[in-house]
Amino acid sequence: MKPYRTMARNSMQSTFAFRTAFLMAAVAACFQLVATVALWSALLSNGGSIGGFTLPEMKAYLLMGYVTGWLGNAIGEWVLANRIRDGQVALDLVKPIETQKMMFAQTLGGLPMELIMIVTVGAGFVLVAGPMPGPSNIPLLMLSLVFVMPIRFCIAFLTTQLVFWTQNFHGVSWARNAVGAVLSGSLVPLSLMPTWLQTTAAVLPFASLTSTPALIYLGKVSTPTAYLLIGVQAFWVVALWFLARVAFRAASRQVTVHGG
Amino acid sequence: MVAETLFAVRRNARLYRRSLGAVVRAVLEYVADFWILIAAGIVTQSLGLVFLSVVMSRVPHLNGWSYPEMVLIYGLAGVSSGIVPVLSDGIWQLASFIHNGQLDYALTRPAPPLMQVMSAWVGFNGVGDLVASAAMLTWALTRVDVHWTPLNVLILLILMISGIALRLAMCVVANTVSFWLRMPMPMFAMTAWQVGELARYPLGIYGFGLRFLLGAAAPFAFAGFFPAAWLLDRGGYAWLGILTPVVAVLWWIFAVWLFRRGLRRYDSAGH
Repeated sequence: MKPYRTMARNSMQSTFAFRTAFLMAAVAACFQLVATVALWSALLSNGGSIGGFTLPEMKAYLLMGYVTGWLGNAIGEWVLANRIRDGQVALDLVKPIETQKMMFAQTLGGLPMELIMIVTVGAGFVLVAGPMPGPSNIPLLMLSLVFVMPIRFCIAFLTTQLVFWTQNFHGVSWARNAVGAVLSGSLVPLSLMPTWLQTTAAVLPFASLTSTPALIYLGKVSTPTAYLLIGVQAFWVVALWFLARVAFRAASRQVTVHGG
Repeated sequence: MVAETLFAVRRNARLYRRSLGAVVRAVLEYVADFWILIAAGIVTQSLGLVFLSVVMSRVPHLNGWSYPEMVLIYGLAGVSSGIVPVLSDGIWQLASFIHNGQLDYALTRPAPPLMQVMSAWVGFNGVGDLVASAAMLTWALTRVDVHWTPLNVLILLILMISGIALRLAMCVVANTVSFWLRMPMPMFAMTAWQVGELARYPLGIYGFGLRFLLGAAAPFAFAGFFPAAWLLDRGGYAWLGILTPVVAVLWWIFAVWLFRRGLRRYDSAGH
């Protein structure tokens, strides 16, 4: 357990060492939020609703999109991607610890910085962009938020393994982020999308990242459905964790130790 | 004098082409990467289209702009920002060049350093961006209500080229800031790029602060929205569109001046 704790602490310290980068990211996020609110305000200027979302509800939805977007995101998947690319992963493989758990510990270490980003920018957003409804069921919301980070980690860990085959992680990461933005509901609520996209989103893990917590926050789902959705989140954590593990065993046979 | 300048321009254009060509050959060593990047560009550009089509299937007009008009603005801005990675992706490495003291290499060679830095890499994701944006633009141009004449086709082309030049200059400026910021990553330029993405929607939806930012302080709106407003003859904004070439020239003068100032600060020691 101790090596993992050390890893988590080191990665936490690295996020604080690169605080300027996070400050810039916060600035960019503020612009993004202001712009998206402006867009939705223009769309809902007549006081109506789109797909059952009024303007205040949409603002709360965007807030949840921002919050869930940070969870598990401060320590980039780049750490592993670069280690695979330059062959250093060979050293990780000979260490008496599991690479997957090591990466998870590092991702956990990003949590304090993520919470700072969430609280500072999020609070500013609530004050400036308000009025918006508060969370309808705080315990359930918290429960569903707990699952966001592990799911995002597993998806990232799975896609990062592609670097064993390709030298270029930019493309993989961009494409996955774009697909994720649509299917997680962070771009627009899933209920607004055409049926075929909703069906696709229903069988993939992305919706557990944003749509589930946001719908629970807004009380758009009944309590039994909320429990069901949280169950789905839990299912994805377990399933993706083991899938990533099996995949890593196969992928690490591809390692090119001389770097690529 | 004129002949000499012309000679220098032609020589530099040839060097630029050859420098990019060398990168293209290097990247094509990894064919899978090439296709992944192009696919990533297409998928990323389609995001905005998904957003617009989902939302505008329920609301016919946004701030007075119809769906094809929104796609036109989105596509125009996409074309001008999509060329940046193709022509000058190397500029994103400037921060790391300064950080590692690697800029020395460019300074010792007999070609303009800015040109060498810009052509040090080719981002093939830009090709994907261009394919997707050009498709959106074509789709929109056949659907918007415009009376086409040879003159306005010509002016539209000039505005588009100016928009591209403007985006290139702004990208150079945003990365040149690295001479003063002392960070190994171009964080400022990344933030600026994200701000630029906001200019892919009609400027009128934003409040005063963002309108001032996107229209004047960092005039991303000239690389998409204003030219589109000119083409569609939207009062208030249309005449601004025709100013795009002027803004582009001014920003290039600023970019070159700033880069020279930055070079004077460069001490090749790294940090």
